[in-house]
Amino acid sequence: MENDNITEGSIFIKSISNVFNAIPATEVFKKGEYLIREGEIEKFLYYIDKGAVKVSYLTELDEHIIRLGYDGSFLNSLSSFIKEEPSELYIEALKETTVKRISKEAFLEIVMRDGHSLRQYSAFLETLLMQQLDREIDLLLTSPVERLNRVLKRSPHLFQHIPLKYIASYLRMKPETLSRIRNY
Amino acid sequence: MKPFIMRIEQNELIEQLLKVTEDSLKATTDLKNVSPEVLNFKPDHNDWSVLECMEHLNLYGDFYLPEIERCILNSPSLHEGILFKSSLIGDYFVNSIKATNQKKMKAPKMMTPETSQLSAITLDKFIKQLEKLKSLLYQAKKVNLTKNYTAISLTRIIKLRLGDTLRFIVYHNERHIRQAENVKAKACR
Repeated sequence: MENDNITEGSIFIKSISNVFNAIPATEVFKKGEYLIREGEIEKFLYYIDKGAVKVSYLTELDEHIIRLGYDGSFLNSLSSFIKEEPSELYIEALKETTVKRISKEAFLEIVMRDGHSLRQYSAFLETLLMQQLDREIDLLLTSPVERLNRVLKRSPHLFQHIPLKYIASYLRMKPETLSRIRNY
Repeated sequence: MKPFIMRIEQNELIEQLLKVTEDSLKATTDLKNVSPEVLNFKPDHNDWSVLECMEHLNLYGDFYLPEIERCILNSPSLHEGILFKSSLIGDYFVNSIKATNQKKMKAPKMMTPETSQLSAITLDKFIKQLEKLKSLLYQAKKVNLTKNYTAISLTRIIKLRLGDTLRFIVYHNERHIRQAENVKAKACR
């Protein structure tokens, strides 16, 4: 999710974006198709050209959405990508979604190119870490309104890209609750 | 004449149920290699597909797994080696849904799968439910299966002995996994 400050981290995002922009090939996932399923090993980093996806974790009772992605998002099943172990997460297209992807090798090549890009990469990781902590706090807040406001601050255009019922699951509330508090 | 009531040593019952659940888990895991066309195949308009069978079991699990867990966590633990005695009504429920009873039954509305919601996740979810059930069966060895009761999904009026509820859910799984395997065989023919 977005961060508008011009930091080393956003420079990294920019150079990664440039790499993605240079890739002519796109892949299309139809609604309901998976970019990755639990148990598979994540080999790619994805850039969403157009569309929407959900990243979710399945328990024996429910499917929990832990991230949403749409036009301009980078994502993958991160732990699996890093550790090269089976993914615990699913990534599913919520509508027809066009993506570009690069392999882990190509990604590491960009990161390791020189001292500059390594520094930018570590700044990017700091941003990512802060986003994760924000998300952790989101989940601790009991007030649905506060949870919603924090997310909208980070991603003001969420509702234009993602159907409400998925945002509700991401915020751990019922769709009815979300549609009620949206109008506050 | 006094009706026959099932009595069995608790550990022995749990071991039997674990074995059936292990077989269920294996059969379900095998279904992961089956194509979406076969998983969604309906032999007849009124028959369930493989995924519909699985979703039916998920709906039961959604109700019973938390209920069984609640019951176990609220029961005092005991030394192993006591007898489980089934109740008349519990034993009746279990026998009515065992795979050996071929009589066709109609699922209650709340347990009827909605076809539009089904995907590969349906199968993955059921595998997680079976793993959870295994863990609950192990935990159940430590509580009295006769004197602790769970709610049932059909009505609020009746409660079942924990041991009967465990038997019900395990044999109900077995019944519909067999059904799913029969559907798969028809689809592959």
